[in-house]
Amino acid sequence: MIRILPTSAVIYGGRAAWLSPVPALLGGLVLRGVYRWLRRTAPEGAGLADLTVLSLGKAAGRAMCVLYALWLTFYGGFVARSASERLLATVYPNGGVGVFIAVMLVVALITASGLTKTLSRTAEVLMPLLLAVIAAVLLSALPDVASENLLPVTYLDAGSILYGALPIFNVLSAFAYFLFLMGHVEPPKLTRGNSFPWMVLLVLVAFGATFFTLGTLGDKLAISMENAFFMVIRNIRVFGVVERVESVVVGVWIVTDFIFLGAVIMIVSELWRTVTGAKRRAAFVPPTAALCAAAAFFISPDAFDFQRWSDFIIPAINMTFTLVLIPLPLIAGKLRRKY
Amino acid sequence: MFRESKNVPPETGEDAPITAAAMEAVFADCYDYESRELHIGGREANRVRLCFIDGLVSGSDVAEQIIKPLTDPGRFGGEAVGSRAISMMLGGSVYVYTAKSRKALGEAVTDLLNGFCALIFDAERTAVTFEVKSQQRRSVDAPKEEKVVKGAKDAFVETMKVNTTLVRRKLRNPHLKIKEFSLGERAKTAVTLVYIDGFTNAGIVAEAARRVSRIEAEGVLTSSVIEENIVDNYRSPFPQVISTERADKFCMNLLEGRVGILADGLPLGFLVPGTFSQFMKVPEDHSAHYLVSSALTLLRYASVALTLLAPAFYVAVAMYHQEMIPTRLMQSMIDARASVPFPTAMEVIMMLLAFELLQEAGIRLPSPIGETVSIIGALIVGQSAVEASVVSPVVVVVIALAGIAGYTMPNQDMGSALRLCRFFLVLAAIALGMFGVATGCGLLIYHLASLESYGVPYMTPFAGAEGRHLGRALLRRPMTVKRDREPELKTGSGGEARL
Amino acid sequence: MKRAVLALTALGLALGLVSCSGMTILSNYRRLENIELVRTITADAAPEGVTVSICGAAGKESGPRQYECSGPSMGVALGELMLMPLGRDAILSHAESLLVGEELAKTGMDQCLDYMERFSETRLDTGVLIVRGGRALDLAAGLTGKETPAPDVIAGLGKNISRMGEGYFFTCREIASSLAQNGCALVQCVKGEEGEKLFEERGELDIRPAGFAVLGTEGGPAYLTEEETLGTLVLLNKFRSKNMDLEVEGTVLTVSVDRAEAGFEPVFEDGALAGIDIALKLEANVICLTGDGALTDALYRKSAEEALSRRILAAVNAALRRSRQLGADFLDLEGVVRRRAPLKMERSGESWAEVFPRLALNVRAESTLLRTFDIVDPPDVAGEEENRSPWEKLIESLNGS
Repeated sequence: MIRILPTSAVIYGGRAAWLSPVPALLGGLVLRGVYRWLRRTAPEGAGLADLTVLSLGKAAGRAMCVLYALWLTFYGGFVARSASERLLATVYPNGGVGVFIAVMLVVALITASGLTKTLSRTAEVLMPLLLAVIAAVLLSALPDVASENLLPVTYLDAGSILYGALPIFNVLSAFAYFLFLMGHVEPPKLTRGNSFPWMVLLVLVAFGATFFTLGTLGDKLAISMENAFFMVIRNIRVFGVVERVESVVVGVWIVTDFIFLGAVIMIVSELWRTVTGAKRRAAFVPPTAALCAAAAFFISPDAFDFQRWSDFIIPAINMTFTLVLIPLPLIAGKLRRKY
Repeated sequence: MFRESKNVPPETGEDAPITAAAMEAVFADCYDYESRELHIGGREANRVRLCFIDGLVSGSDVAEQIIKPLTDPGRFGGEAVGSRAISMMLGGSVYVYTAKSRKALGEAVTDLLNGFCALIFDAERTAVTFEVKSQQRRSVDAPKEEKVVKGAKDAFVETMKVNTTLVRRKLRNPHLKIKEFSLGERAKTAVTLVYIDGFTNAGIVAEAARRVSRIEAEGVLTSSVIEENIVDNYRSPFPQVISTERADKFCMNLLEGRVGILADGLPLGFLVPGTFSQFMKVPEDHSAHYLVSSALTLLRYASVALTLLAPAFYVAVAMYHQEMIPTRLMQSMIDARASVPFPTAMEVIMMLLAFELLQEAGIRLPSPIGETVSIIGALIVGQSAVEASVVSPVVVVVIALAGIAGYTMPNQDMGSALRLCRFFLVLAAIALGMFGVATGCGLLIYHLASLESYGVPYMTPFAGAEGRHLGRALLRRPMTVKRDREPELKTGSGGEARL
Repeated sequence: MKRAVLALTALGLALGLVSCSGMTILSNYRRLENIELVRTITADAAPEGVTVSICGAAGKESGPRQYECSGPSMGVALGELMLMPLGRDAILSHAESLLVGEELAKTGMDQCLDYMERFSETRLDTGVLIVRGGRALDLAAGLTGKETPAPDVIAGLGKNISRMGEGYFFTCREIASSLAQNGCALVQCVKGEEGEKLFEERGELDIRPAGFAVLGTEGGPAYLTEEETLGTLVLLNKFRSKNMDLEVEGTVLTVSVDRAEAGFEPVFEDGALAGIDIALKLEANVICLTGDGALTDALYRKSAEEALSRRILAAVNAALRRSRQLGADFLDLEGVVRRRAPLKMERSGESWAEVFPRLALNVRAESTLLRTFDIVDPPDVAGEEENRSPWEKLIESLNGS
């Protein structure tokens, strides 16, 4: 998220991109409403994968689940590679991408092997910590923020703001994947799945990142940088005690990547469980992690090619899935009163 | 239940009939077992055998309250033999407040072991047992390990009855239930479950009773026997049972809806469920001003971060992320390190180990020597190590800071767990720098999030409570403000906890 | 339990691989005691390409150090220098200043900036300075004394230059941002002067500000005069304070200008940008008065304020003229106008390059002398002051105002 967000939002939204998180949140809430409507009449204990099978029938539904699983495996690999590239570009310039991918996937393997509620509780502890660290760091950057880089914003910028909201909405829309973990995966009480606070949290982080990146660098310089947010972080001094805190921010951020990666592997395992009709998903976790590792290694040969993937290809496929391929079968099933 | 002896023919099973010979057989080769023959009403024909464990009973009480009235012809004369005598004793002719009639040998033996004396009527196959416990016990004193600045100074002792009395005196409530269990195949230690009926979550009480009753051990002589048998995850180094020697802390937790456990012979009370935030609290939080208490609680949480992360952070920064150090500090660190022969990683590990050694030596040695060792270790060896350029002063400062921060933990089990994790984080920092620290922290938090205590998430209210009641863990409200019950304990008629 | 053991074993293996294999994080490991802390980098043109030098900090037992190396480019030369023959690792993350020689600044400023922005060790808030009339390497060497490292002297100038009103240390970030936004950017210039060596520990040279250079103009940087630099500082609202002598009615009044703010108001005619009204607000305090002036005299004060306005107006107009002459908007006037009237600018549809040369730039200044501190009028050294009571002086000054 942090690799692409500020730069992508600024590319699309220009000087006014710091306001883009607002429409992105609204969009996210609308999408959340759609998914809530789709799940309202779901049978007790049915997850999104079950609903897909119910809507399309066994064969087509399972085929669809296979498609979701394949995409999410690839997406998991992309997340791991993205985090690794970020580490290389910011803190460990002499390291190898494989090292980070290996460690990340082992940690994700551990987290994905546990219960969903454990993962969600870990996220509950970590997300406020992440927010606190980023807030403290960014507040130290406040003196570098120039108002002339952020203002003025007029009604003429409305289009740019909406356009800039696209990358942020793209990140928010990934909440749809977590719905695969609802239902019979664990007792519903344990997985309430209230995505609203998470969306607000993500939007706050996106706002902070975009606001400070734009305010410090200006739109034109921010666009020209690969990791604009970390360039801002690089110049921060926290009360004269520590300087250049990018390694701390990257470190804290990587923990969220662990959780997200763990969740993705968990979702994919759950999808394979639905497809095969197995009782437990645990057996699918190690092969999924291995496939994610393979995807992470082979997704692109170099950072330039990877940038293309992260800027255009992955967001496009992601939106296709969360806005079309996942809800469409469910809408069809709902209209045909399949559930 | 009791071992059969080859030389003594009487039956000595749990339900065997009570005879003096059987009792002798049970306590054969027991130095402290005493028995003597008494003549009821002073008549030689009316014989009865008095048995007791020397030391467990009060000799003067036996003489004054049992032997004296029993041998008085005016009181037990004429027809007062056999069942008539038993009936008179149970009716109050002997001046002991607790008298029980026992038909099974096992019951009588247990009574004897609990400070009773027994009068055995061979013909009736009956024993009358009287509670005449010796008062030789440690008196109630101020807590030794959990210092009290402003609060009650009565700590638990090794005697169960004294401990239950301390609790009962603080909670004068008929709903305070004290359920007894006898644990240990051989030691037969009395263990009690303490809770407030109708208030404490029934699910937690039932689960605690189930776990306590299922403890399989030779005896309950150490706290770990209880702790490790009643926690959800005994493999975790993090404490999941609150143990305290303070009666006031024990009662406060009972009032919050926890279940207490007391064991005879242990000067400690145990409380479940134990959550992370609970280990950050001390009873003084309720004695000091609420703003002071809140600030101190926040300081304790900061100490957790400091004790865990300071050495790892230093290693990561000194080895991989030198750009984070301000210029002037960096120059002093370079100068300080210039004459130290060991790499940073070794230096930190050595210092951490030295710190642990000093601490262990300080605890194990008698207190005057222990203090001397600490002073020699901390001041003289530390100073000399720096002067001899074996370690750099920055490392000493970092390790000392982490150590001192660890001592602020109200619960030493928590402190020990954090110390253990500190080592792992340092190793992760050596291997991977800040990435390693982050990975280690992520796994640590994942582990903590995976823990549950009696259906209550260990990290509540930080996780598992949907962000509510966070203030309760971090801050204390004024006493004038009505206090909410702890939602995670589901007290009263609020429903059952998930188990 | 088995699963946990397996997972932890896998993690241990991964960590082990990470620690032992060559292409790993361990290659980022640096022993603290081997680090050479670089605080200043210099770059100069050389027959081979570029000569760079790094100035370290003074250690407890070692004095200031400077190492130099030449190579075809700044990256190559610095790369070689970082693998120092002394076996120490030079670390550029604490570099506070980059000194570029005038010769290299003509053609190679872009490579210096690109290196500083791209290299993961260097910071974007490193100050960039162009050394006028000489080599940066020589200046750094000249500044280095027995105990005082050159970076300390440069940092001292950086702290005071704004307060002296003689310039501003632009950082890599500001330069890059300005180049991206306006196509040109300002850089502070400095020069070395032989100073009196009052202290043993000081170097042979003193560092002095030498105006701004404008990057992004044809034929290398254009250098601004002292007056143009002052005007630029005022227009960029980066002016903090400056002491200046004003000739007022035959006296010399030394004032400390503590505030100089520029306000901009775009003027549109028929939907097109016709000009910019620039209002300067100046505030000063009296430091010294030499001669027969009377600060209690309102007319004298007014004359002094007008003199101050004239002085600053001249500087501002000079800066505006130079900006137009160079065709470089280093004063960010386009940005100012777009911020003040975004909708009108959007509607006018004209490019700044077309508009700028014909813009009417109307500058006016309003100066105020705020206070005179303890002494109202200068002491009557000559003994010509008439014998008046303070009350009489007060009444006279009130009548005058």
